[in-house]
Amino acid sequence: MNAPVAMTTDNRALVEAAHRGLAQTWIEFESALTQIPLVARLLAGKLRLEDYRRLLFNLRQQVVEGSRWISRAASSLGPNHEELRSLFVRHAVSEHRDYRLLEDNYVAAGGDADDIRAGRMNIGSEALSAFMYHAASRPDPVGLLGAMYVIEGLGERLAGPWSQAIREQLGLGDEAVSFLAYHGANDGDHLDMFDRALALAIADRATADEIVRHARIVARLYRLQLEEIDHG
Amino acid sequence: MQPVYVTATAQCLPGAPIANDRMADYIGRLSPEAERFGRLTLRQNGIRSRHYAIRPDGSSDWTVAKLAGTAVRDLIAGAEIDREAIGFLASATTQNDLMVPGLASGVHAESGLPPIELASLQSVCASSMMAMKAAALQVAAGEHRAAIAVGAEFSSRYFRPGFYRDTATVKLDGTLPGDAEFLRWTLSDGAAGLLIEDRPAAHGLSLRIDWISLRSFADRFVPCMTGGGAHQPDGSLKPWSLHDGAADAARAGAFQLRQDVDALYRMLPVWLGEFMRLVDEGKIDPASVDWFLCHFSAHSLRQEMARLAERAGCMIPDERWFTNIYDKGNVGAAAIFLLLDDLMRSGRLTPGQRILCAVPESGQCIMAYAAMTVVEGDSQ
Repeated sequence: MNAPVAMTTDNRALVEAAHRGLAQTWIEFESALTQIPLVARLLAGKLRLEDYRRLLFNLRQQVVEGSRWISRAASSLGPNHEELRSLFVRHAVSEHRDYRLLEDNYVAAGGDADDIRAGRMNIGSEALSAFMYHAASRPDPVGLLGAMYVIEGLGERLAGPWSQAIREQLGLGDEAVSFLAYHGANDGDHLDMFDRALALAIADRATADEIVRHARIVARLYRLQLEEIDHG
Repeated sequence: MQPVYVTATAQCLPGAPIANDRMADYIGRLSPEAERFGRLTLRQNGIRSRHYAIRPDGSSDWTVAKLAGTAVRDLIAGAEIDREAIGFLASATTQNDLMVPGLASGVHAESGLPPIELASLQSVCASSMMAMKAAALQVAAGEHRAAIAVGAEFSSRYFRPGFYRDTATVKLDGTLPGDAEFLRWTLSDGAAGLLIEDRPAAHGLSLRIDWISLRSFADRFVPCMTGGGAHQPDGSLKPWSLHDGAADAARAGAFQLRQDVDALYRMLPVWLGEFMRLVDEGKIDPASVDWFLCHFSAHSLRQEMARLAERAGCMIPDERWFTNIYDKGNVGAAAIFLLLDDLMRSGRLTPGQRILCAVPESGQCIMAYAAMTVVEGDSQ
C-alpha cells in the first residue's frame, strides 16, 4: 500500500480528507445506482439484450466527448499545474478512441453501426457533458479531478462485474462487452494515477472541497444520464 | 447526561473448543462437496476453533436464553454491586429460542435477577450495539443506576442436516448453494455481556462509554443475510408465515440461514464510509485509537477494508487490532461483548487508552461504532 504518492506532510491531512469526501460521494452514488431500473434489472439477473444495446447507445454519446473535455481542461491548467496538465494530456490520449469500442460492442450485440454513430445525447448526457465543458473552460480546473474520480471509479469498481454479468445473462462473447471489460481491467491503474494527481493538486482546503464538490455534481449528473436512457 | 461506564464483563462459551476437523461431527454431514466448500470457507475466514452448544447427536442442554442467562450470572458474580441495584436488562440475538415471547424474558428467567425493566433487541450482529446503546442511555438518562446488555447466539442448531433434508434448497447431488452453506462454516455459539453503571468500578479498570453510533442502510440494500423466508423465482423473499403452513415453508427452505456473499462485499464501502463520516465529524481520530475491536465475519473482509481505509487516512495499524475470532469463532450478537471481555481480562489495558468498537451487520446493512476510554476506579 505504499504507492509512490508525492504527498508532503503539509498536505497529507487535506489529501486524506479529500479521499474521505470522495469515498463517501462514491458510496452514495453506487447505492443510488442500484435504484435505477436498468441497473436493478442487471443486478437481479434480468437484463434483456435490448437493455444492453440501449446502455451502449446512450453511453457512446457521452464517452465520445470524454477525451475532448479532458483536453480542454488540460489547456486551462496554468503554469502552476504543469505536472497535472501532463497527466490530463496522457489521460486524454489513453481514452480518446474508447467510444469506438462502444460502437463495436453495439454491433456485436446486434445493433447497427450507423444508428449509434448518428445518435443524440440523452438529457442526462447533455447536462453531464455541458457541465464538463463548463468546468474545463474555467482557469485551473483542478476540481475536475473529482469528476474523473467518479468516472474512473465506475470503471474500476463496476465495469468488471457488470461486463461479466452481462456476458452471462445475455450469452454474449468478449467482442460484445470489450468496453466494460477493458475499463474493469485497466481503471485500477488510472486510479493510481489519480492518487498521484490528487497529491499534486491539493495545496489548500478550498481545492480539496472543490474536488469533492465536482465529484458530487458529476455523480448526480451521471445518474441522471442512466435514468434518462432513451429519453432523447 | 450522566457519564456511563462498563464496570464488569463476562462470557459463556459452551463446552470445549472444537477444531476445524471436528466441526462436521457437530453440525452434521451433508455431502463431501459440502465439506469441501466448508474447508474453503474456513481458509477465508481464518477461524481455527469455536464452541458449540449442540452435541454430535443433535441434543443439547442449552438454549440461547440459558447461554445469555449464564453469562449474566457470571457478570453479576464479578460485579461490585448487588443484583437488586440493576434496573435494566437488554438482550441481543439473531434468533431467539421462541418466536414469542422476546429473548430478554427468557434471559431474565435464567439470570437470577429480581423484577427488572427489559428490552429484547433482535437483528444480527449489530443487535449487540442496539442493546449496549439501550443500556447506556437508560443509565445516562438517570432512569436506572445500573443496566446489563447481553448478546447470545445458538446458531449451530440450525445447521444440522435435518434443517436441509427434503427441502428445495438441497441440490440433487446433496450440496447446498453457497449462500446456505457459507454460514454453516462461519457461525458458532456463545454469550457475553456488560454491566453498565453511572460510576466506574471502585477497584480495577472500567471503560467510559464516550459515544455509540448505529446507522441502517436498508434504504439501499435488500436483505442479504436472511432466515425465515424463501426466495421466489422473481427474486423476492416470501416470509415463512405466508406459505401454506409451516411444513410447506420448511420444504421451501424458509427455516434456513442464508448469506448472499456478493451483496456482503457490496456493503464493505458503506461500512467504511460510516467510519469516514465519523472521522469528518471529529468523533473518531484514527491516530488516537489504542485498541480497535472490529467484529469482522471473514478474514478477507479485513484486508478489503484495510485497502480502502489506507488512502483516506482511516487505517488503524495492525498492532492495535484486538481480535479473538480465530479461537472463539464468529458469535454474532455476542461477538463485540466477547471481545470487550477478553480485552478487559488481557492485562494489556492502561488508564487513558481509547477503544474503538466496530460492528458491521450484513443482514440488511447496518454499521455501528462505539468509543470508550479506559478509566481507573477511585478505591479510596
